[in-house]
Amino acid sequence: MNTTMLNNQVPVTVLTGFLGSGKTTLLNRILTENHGKRIAVIENEFGEIGVDNDLVIGAEEEIFEMNNGCICCTVRGDLIRILGNLMKRRDKFDYIMVETTGLADPGPVAQTFFMDTEMQEKLQLDSVTTVVDAKHIWQHIDDSDEAREQIAFADVILLNKIDLVTETELEQLEARIRGMNGAAKIYRTKNAVVEMDKILNVGGFDLDRAMEVDPQFMEPEYPFEWAGVYNLSESAHELVLQEGPDPTMKVALAPVNESTDEALEAAVEPVVMVFSDNEHELSAGGTLQPGGQLIALNLTADELRFDVQIDRPGAYALFTEHHPDEFQAQLFGSGALVKPVVEREFKPDHEHDDEVTSVGITTPGDLDPDRLNDWISDLLRTKGIDIFRMKGILSIKGEPNRFVFQGVHMLFDGRPDRPWDGEPRCNSLIFIGRNLDRAELTEGFEACLA
Amino acid sequence: MSRLNNMSSRILQPSQLRENWTATISDHVIDLAWSPDGKYIAAASVLGPVTIFEGHRRAVIHAFEGHEFGTMSIAWRPDGKVLASAGQDGKIRLWDMASGEATHSLDGGAAWVEHISWSGGEKPILASAAGRKLKLWNVVGELVREYPDHQSTISGLQWKPRVKQLASITYGGVMLWDPQQSEALNRMEWQGSSLVIAWSPDGKHIATGDQDSTVHFWIMSTGEDLQMTGYPTKVREVSWDATSRYLATGGGQDVTVWDCSGRGPAGTKPITLSGHQDFLSVVRFQHRGKLLASGCADGLVYVWQLRGNLRSRTVHEAALTTGVTNLVWSPNDQYIAVGDESGGVSVFSIS
Repeated sequence: MNTTMLNNQVPVTVLTGFLGSGKTTLLNRILTENHGKRIAVIENEFGEIGVDNDLVIGAEEEIFEMNNGCICCTVRGDLIRILGNLMKRRDKFDYIMVETTGLADPGPVAQTFFMDTEMQEKLQLDSVTTVVDAKHIWQHIDDSDEAREQIAFADVILLNKIDLVTETELEQLEARIRGMNGAAKIYRTKNAVVEMDKILNVGGFDLDRAMEVDPQFMEPEYPFEWAGVYNLSESAHELVLQEGPDPTMKVALAPVNESTDEALEAAVEPVVMVFSDNEHELSAGGTLQPGGQLIALNLTADELRFDVQIDRPGAYALFTEHHPDEFQAQLFGSGALVKPVVEREFKPDHEHDDEVTSVGITTPGDLDPDRLNDWISDLLRTKGIDIFRMKGILSIKGEPNRFVFQGVHMLFDGRPDRPWDGEPRCNSLIFIGRNLDRAELTEGFEACLA
Repeated sequence: MSRLNNMSSRILQPSQLRENWTATISDHVIDLAWSPDGKYIAAASVLGPVTIFEGHRRAVIHAFEGHEFGTMSIAWRPDGKVLASAGQDGKIRLWDMASGEATHSLDGGAAWVEHISWSGGEKPILASAAGRKLKLWNVVGELVREYPDHQSTISGLQWKPRVKQLASITYGGVMLWDPQQSEALNRMEWQGSSLVIAWSPDGKHIATGDQDSTVHFWIMSTGEDLQMTGYPTKVREVSWDATSRYLATGGGQDVTVWDCSGRGPAGTKPITLSGHQDFLSVVRFQHRGKLLASGCADGLVYVWQLRGNLRSRTVHEAALTTGVTNLVWSPNDQYIAVGDESGGVSVFSIS
């Protein structure tokens, strides 16, 4: 049972994707596999394949921008007119599919369901589903705002035509998409074949399931790309690098209990904190010491050698801002190469230089409703243009029920959900947008804890 | 003291509107119109059929099939002999009251014909709006003019009272047309989407209700406009009183009335009429009288007497079982016909 059925609103799926991605194939599949359901289709584009349904309404995309110039007030006039009329019929539809053109900006479409009171009352945006042509999307992903925004706005993404690409290409594509939109559910498909319950009635609010599907979806990005644990003796050591792509590199050296994965893992969080401190610059020839300091190695000298001073023998973890291979960084002890016993690569926060990213925040505890309200209002007023989507499950102090919400740009729609019961009270939220500042968002949110 | 209070509360208690008759058509009443002589009521269903009732008793005179996929609007020719209808089959139909047949089926020029409006005067002209297409037709259904496409879908049409001049609204502003000319007389541009248009009876103002929760007053003599803000929702309900002094507007639960006398409405505080519990669907002044009727999604019809902000009050009321979709005063202002969401058509007496 989802919220859309309880309050009598008709669910709407917005289907986006470039021409030829497989949108119409998917639409026809939905129409033929859902016998007995009255599905109305609003089409902005008549592709090469016809849609097999009595209730197809052709519409010309009509964007209403408002006088105040705010992009968040931009809505789709054609949809308001057509849906408004459809919803007057007693014999209402069970479901509405809105198929947009390949070049449509999904923002105004989604906003229509939040901005217009009539739409908001009668309809519920169930999901924005984006069909991606796994082979040809590479032509668009770098230079088309529409392609990037269709991915960023999506709740569900179908990587279609997987039979035309290799597994490695698929993995690359999925990683790239995941980097832009950490909350979407991604399914790999051939001929747009997918189970209907993954597409229809998914409920934009169903974050629980998103997290079940992909437990890493909230995984943070790190300020370092690599860490290695070395067993170091009390002798003189030297870190030797070659000139690389950057003039400086931040590093931190921290003692750990033993040279194991677990010990490295335990060091990650404290070192993230170290990386948020002020850095101390160290020129070539200087000495690097283990401890809670963030060191910025100056990599502009001719000979890049740094002494490493170890007072007590043991396991030490070296965290580096960039992958050591980029600078051919090596550690020597008594003239011999020392190799890390354990090493790990981290998802960097600048992986593809994509301006579109996601920021997920998970924090246990209860929120102060007033502070939360002030923070969200201020955030949406100042950053709403860059925040495409926002979703979350919140634990509000004094409230027995979970509070679920979603937003599009500056528009926000939230409601109480099922009770927490015995479940640990916890807050999960995710922002998808352009130029998001993870540290600022996390700090702002955590300041709302009661 | 207590006796006085009792008395005043008894005086202020609105009276129930007397229901003359009620009937049901196939679905949601999307448009409702009294014939110019007040003898008939035409009611259009969102599903398509258009039913002609006698005004004073529950009797069906004609059942026109209307339009496949749904009727959008209806309009009586000023002589009352023909009803025009527009629908989602892209057609405008002219229904002859004498024979009960459609005499013409005209092509509006797009998938949906949303608006039609008859001019007054000698040889009335029918204007039709379908998508961006504006067409003019004569009394016998001949095309007299087809204008170049508007820049965006036409969201409303109205002839200037007593003058053959037509105003159309779109996303982007208001345009004025002379049926004798192929070019627009005037374009009053504004970046926003107007949803409904109303000329003041004296022709001096055009009021529009807008998607961005505002109301615009266009002053025809200067081309200037005033934007009234503060509405909770988009505004689709506007109505002028007979003297052109007051404009009643919806856009939420409260009826907001602007006073255009003196320097108004600029810088004035409007009269707010509260009482409805849901969004308004229609506000309508009498044709000549001073009463204002409002209909709401809460199923209530209120008739208001306007006496400034503090003394305006409900004088009559009626409760329907579903939301009111439309409401029209009879030509003699003595009756109100009300349509509702489940196809109910009712006629109430005011006295």
